[in-house]
Amino acid sequence: MRRFLLSVLIVAGCHSTARQPDGPSARRIVSLLPSFTEILFAIGAGDRIVGRTTWCDYPPAALAIPSVGDGMPPNIEAVAARKPDLVVLYNSGPNVTAAKQLERIGIHTVLLDLNRLEDLGPAARTLGRLTGLEERAESLATAMDSLAARPRPPSTASLAFVVWDNPPIIIGTGSYLHQLAALAGARNVFGDVAAPSAQVSLETIAARDPQWIAVLSDSGATPAFAKRQEWRAVRAVRQGHFLLLKGSLFGRPGPRSGEAVKELKALLAR
Amino acid sequence: MKWTLLVIVAVLALAASVVLGPAAVPLNELLRSDIVWNLRAPRALLAFLVGGSLGVAGASLQALVRNPLADPFLLGLSGGAGLGAVIAIALHLSGPWALPIAAFVGALAALGLVYRLGLIGGAALDPRILLLGGVAIGAFAAAITTAIVSLADAAELRNAFLWLWGGLSGASWDAVLVVALYAPIPLAVLLAASRPLDLLALGEEPARYLGADVEAVKRRVYLAASLLTAAAVAVSGVIGFVGLVVPHLARLTWGHRHRALLPAAFIGGGALLAIADTLARTVVAPRELPVGVVTALIGVPVFALLLRRWTIA
Repeated sequence: MRRFLLSVLIVAGCHSTARQPDGPSARRIVSLLPSFTEILFAIGAGDRIVGRTTWCDYPPAALAIPSVGDGMPPNIEAVAARKPDLVVLYNSGPNVTAAKQLERIGIHTVLLDLNRLEDLGPAARTLGRLTGLEERAESLATAMDSLAARPRPPSTASLAFVVWDNPPIIIGTGSYLHQLAALAGARNVFGDVAAPSAQVSLETIAARDPQWIAVLSDSGATPAFAKRQEWRAVRAVRQGHFLLLKGSLFGRPGPRSGEAVKELKALLAR
Repeated sequence: MKWTLLVIVAVLALAASVVLGPAAVPLNELLRSDIVWNLRAPRALLAFLVGGSLGVAGASLQALVRNPLADPFLLGLSGGAGLGAVIAIALHLSGPWALPIAAFVGALAALGLVYRLGLIGGAALDPRILLLGGVAIGAFAAAITTAIVSLADAAELRNAFLWLWGGLSGASWDAVLVVALYAPIPLAVLLAASRPLDLLALGEEPARYLGADVEAVKRRVYLAASLLTAAAVAVSGVIGFVGLVVPHLARLTWGHRHRALLPAAFIGGGALLAIADTLARTVVAPRELPVGVVTALIGVPVFALLLRRWTIA
């Protein structure tokens, strides 16, 4: 009975179709999340990707692959037109619906969770199994698992991730960014917020007084709210202590997560 | 007695919103605290001014269109403001005031279109066409907004909706100053129209016989109430419910005379929004609730209670 439950859980856990482990390896893959694109390239399946999202900008070779749109939600016809034998989707409500539609027209799909560091290893292993590249996938997965399990260094700085300014929305412990900060030795001042992100009052940010305000910014420019009068009540804003993090490196868990930790460490040490 | 009570409630609401907050500020440091002085005080005052403006705008519009369901945001202004904000983000307009100004301009554009529609078929502003036109223009602006958000690839565009429902998070002394200088003009216009609004409540024909310049009053009231709402949406986004329920609460207690009704709606609206915002900041601290949720959660039960007393009496 327990074994049966376990296998049900495993099947429910990866939401994949009834693909046999020894079935044919995927040859034409559409990847609908930048993280999956990066993992596929890292395990040596980059040349099998025939479709990507507009957000998939790494590695540079990915840009040569035709885009099937922003993937939010996936454009079923654009995906099907690439004639894939495997579509990899991020496990979310709209994507579950999209996966069902793709299955109905005979395209295999796999829905994978990818919210936190510990999701990377299992995702790499699943993609390795589906592409027949188990060995390289296993070595990537091992590296990712050890990054996720790496002991957190004592924190030497404090920060708050601000993802939107009006209303202020910050990152809590449920988020991947919180994990990156912890690995880089920075204490998230919103470590008591369990959700991935939450709306808070500006005065809470001011009172918790982080040394740094971290924002995802592709332009590398200081955010506009830095100039707003009410934000000047936050000391880090007054002092211009912003960590401007590139979205394509910091905004997604992936094979480069270790690199993101290193870069954050370097920024904090400035 | 009623007035004393209302003023006491308003003063208590303002005091509470300065004293209470998610950050612990000891009472003896209250006057020296940067958080209290630069964040809570302007936010409390802005809440009061915006809530009061919405209360007065709602009361006047309900009299103008003679429809108890009229709400300041019903006339297309929130749709226009949202479109303005989204365009500002899409065009990468920067500067601390880019979004509020763009939202204000968007609301003004919607106002102008609805006003023009209201004049269709002659020089008389038709309240029914105002209502329909407002809903239509609002829906149209919302459709364009959604189209821009889903077609443009700037990720921050998705946050434009957040801005529109952002409440009083952007409060600053600058914003308080702008509203404090701006709002008195439309407020004075509406207060000056108290007597004609009383007459208008009887219907346009009777009002005309009783000597009101009905057409001029309608235009003045529509423009003043909309300009008041446009400023409110520019500094605090769309805050539902205050402009709908506060006028009814005031009417249940103060009757239908606008000379008393409008000031009561102002103080009552201000007090309600100040209380609602204080609760929004504190009850789930360190997180914060959208203020519109709280205005509805306290407004509806109070309204139901008063409605019951009123119908029994």
